[in-house]
Amino acid sequence: MYWIKNKKIKEVIGIVIIGMMLLSLVGCGTSTSDEEAQPSAVASEGEVKQEEEAVVLRLEGGDWGYPSPYLHYSRGPGGYKMQLIFDSLLESGEEGVIPWLAKEWEIAEDGLSYIFTLQQDVKWHDGQPLTPEDVKFSFEYFEKHPPVWNPVMVGNEPIVKEIEILEDNRLKFILGEKDATILEKIGTVRIIPEHIWSGVEDPDSFQDEGAVIGCGPYKLTDYNKEHETYEFTAFEDYWGPKQRVEKIQFVPVSDEIMAFENKEIDVIGIGSDLLDRYQNDPQFKVLENPAFWGYRLSLNMEKNLLFKEKDIRQAIAYGIDQEEMVEKVARGAAIAGSAGYLPKNHIWYNPTVKKYPFDEEKAKTLLGDKKLSFELLTGDSNAEVRIAELMKISLEKIGVEIEIKSVDMKTRDNAVSTGNYEMALIGHGGWGRDADILRTRYSDIPGYENEQINALAEEQLREMDIAKRKELISALQELIAEEIPMIPVYNTTGYTVYRPNTYDGWMYMFDHHSVSHGKLSYLERE
Amino acid sequence: MKKKRKILGFKQYIIIFLCIITLNFFIPRLMPGDPFTFLSAEEGQDHTAFSSEDIERHKKYYGLDQPLWQQYISYVRNLLKGDLGYSIHYKEEVLTLVLSRIAWTLSLVIASVLLSAAIGVFLGTISAYYRNSSLDKILYSGLITLSEVPSFIIALVMLFYFAAHLKLFPLSGGMSHFVDFSSRWEMIKDILLHAFLPLMALTITRIGEFYLLARNSMISILDKAYIKTARGKGLKRRRILFYHALRNAIPPIVTRIFLSFGGALGGAVLVENVFNYPGVGRLMRQGVFFRDYPLIQGIFVVMTLFVLVMNYTADAIYKKLDPRVS
Repeated sequence: MYWIKNKKIKEVIGIVIIGMMLLSLVGCGTSTSDEEAQPSAVASEGEVKQEEEAVVLRLEGGDWGYPSPYLHYSRGPGGYKMQLIFDSLLESGEEGVIPWLAKEWEIAEDGLSYIFTLQQDVKWHDGQPLTPEDVKFSFEYFEKHPPVWNPVMVGNEPIVKEIEILEDNRLKFILGEKDATILEKIGTVRIIPEHIWSGVEDPDSFQDEGAVIGCGPYKLTDYNKEHETYEFTAFEDYWGPKQRVEKIQFVPVSDEIMAFENKEIDVIGIGSDLLDRYQNDPQFKVLENPAFWGYRLSLNMEKNLLFKEKDIRQAIAYGIDQEEMVEKVARGAAIAGSAGYLPKNHIWYNPTVKKYPFDEEKAKTLLGDKKLSFELLTGDSNAEVRIAELMKISLEKIGVEIEIKSVDMKTRDNAVSTGNYEMALIGHGGWGRDADILRTRYSDIPGYENEQINALAEEQLREMDIAKRKELISALQELIAEEIPMIPVYNTTGYTVYRPNTYDGWMYMFDHHSVSHGKLSYLERE
Repeated sequence: MKKKRKILGFKQYIIIFLCIITLNFFIPRLMPGDPFTFLSAEEGQDHTAFSSEDIERHKKYYGLDQPLWQQYISYVRNLLKGDLGYSIHYKEEVLTLVLSRIAWTLSLVIASVLLSAAIGVFLGTISAYYRNSSLDKILYSGLITLSEVPSFIIALVMLFYFAAHLKLFPLSGGMSHFVDFSSRWEMIKDILLHAFLPLMALTITRIGEFYLLARNSMISILDKAYIKTARGKGLKRRRILFYHALRNAIPPIVTRIFLSFGGALGGAVLVENVFNYPGVGRLMRQGVFFRDYPLIQGIFVVMTLFVLVMNYTADAIYKKLDPRVS
């Protein structure tokens, strides 16, 4: 049995054209039915009241769970909805993290303690004041009951050893060891009200209205699981920047583009094929998304010892034509992956790392007279299958044979996590996060161990000086690119289209690819 | 349609039900993957990668760390108590989830079966009366072709043409949201408007089977002596067809109506996904996608029950209507 995905609808257009012929028959069939509906009702519904002062935005819905820190689903749209309600000490701005609930902070010389000063007069949605005790409570509660998005724990270890409440609305966080990424981690932990949660024993089943009382810019005013709708309304006593959008409504959508065309939703993501339709029309504004979502080729060196040889890995990298894939699969809406992992839009991307453009000669020289054959495991999405097919063709040219095995996403993920694959194509987001992802990504490649990489990765984590840390990260990217223990394929960009007449405040967070996810998109900014 | 249907007893239904719930339990668990391992996401989508500690903790919370046979026993035990379990993805009671959506699906399914039966029987009767005329031939080939097209393809065609192109109908969902309806009637109208295209997609594919059934039985009935008598008496054509003849063709059609619910339910699952309709079809897709075992099991149990009850009813009605079956 196969399931239709919304995106697949577009691909069926071909069939539809044939289907149009059938339609004349359909017309005959339906005309006998008694239920001729009046079209007028739709027309009036389509015209959303636009003249009013308050901006009401409509976005693509879908059920992403009750937006409490415990009940939202793990995908992005779930977590970011929760974040509209719940603020954290810091927030993601356009350039980096910015002060939020904490208006300023100091880091001790030894890097082992942080002092945050909270904003004054912060109120919860139920009118109670936010206190430093709430902040301390949130960290301790999350330690005991891990939420869905869980930055307070790394493995089984909490990131903060102790929290002291100081006078003047200040808090002191004491750490076990120096960690360059800690500020961002502490900064993203949601703050929840002690007066509600202190009595909650099993937060995973806490569905009460209290579960969505936060101190963020928006209150949840409607949620319907079966219809997959949400309504967020601006919180009038919000401590922070004024909301430019009064209401954010998420409505069910069968096809994004058709819904946008019919003015049912106000912002969409498109690929490059539709770019011409919107680009030169002043009604619309088009933004190119930063490339923080990407595909990479994972090599299992435990399963196939040949991958332990650097020459072979490099040969494969030369044998993959990234540009062709960007052109043919992503239709130009992507950037070839950087061999140093961090993509071009990453704030710490190193442009000087070794590059592997498609090069038959170099690949053949590196391979010598070895004839190789591998099995490539991929998911079953259209893009993945096409990437795999192109890999097969280009690798054949250098004398590497691959056999493609395409399975559904969960099956592939399971095979990869149990090490039951030779080569796997995998796609995921998060490529824009803190450069510490290099350490985690490259430390658990099955069968691969590189002391230099490990040492550098560890060193950057302990380096508190930002400029120095950036240098270490640059060096690490160069090393990784040379070693190429996994092969980044490409990072997708895609475009965001909206009608500036309706709303023009969209903004990208420095590490994320979706304008509708960040709360700053809905608030006044300088 | 002369073949006799084998009538099953109540006990046999219980056995079938037990077999199905056992399969329900094991099939989702035989699929590779589990509800907590996320290494990848759909294009443009973020995901949370749970650490191995988190995965263990979650498995324990949902009882998935126990041996399979123990899970099976507690599943059956809970089921007997009417407890369908707790959805891992939706974080809600499966029963609540299914109940909140089943009405949408069942209304679609029931309405589409009844509607397609009515249209099918009407057209079949006409076809039988004008047998071998060009009208008969057009109806016959047209409806046979349509019934071979899967309902979701028809749904897509309708979505593009009637909703996106002509803008006669809404693109998706079960009703309009964040709109103040001036009256109850406005709301009902809105719900019907949203249901229209999914309903049509499901109906159109089923007209063919009722049409064929009605046409065949009518053809044999129209040759019967009592019809000739009726004609001889000078009765009106309409009365002969829809009163004297159709009455005798009804039993197999009624049975077929009940038997069709199963198939229509399967079609609805796909059509709902095309229109983002808030029924169990969408729920099921998410369930399979996220390997949400309790949810998949729960939906299948409810669907199985529905189909079995319908089959049982079909048998019972058939016995009532046709005394030759014992």
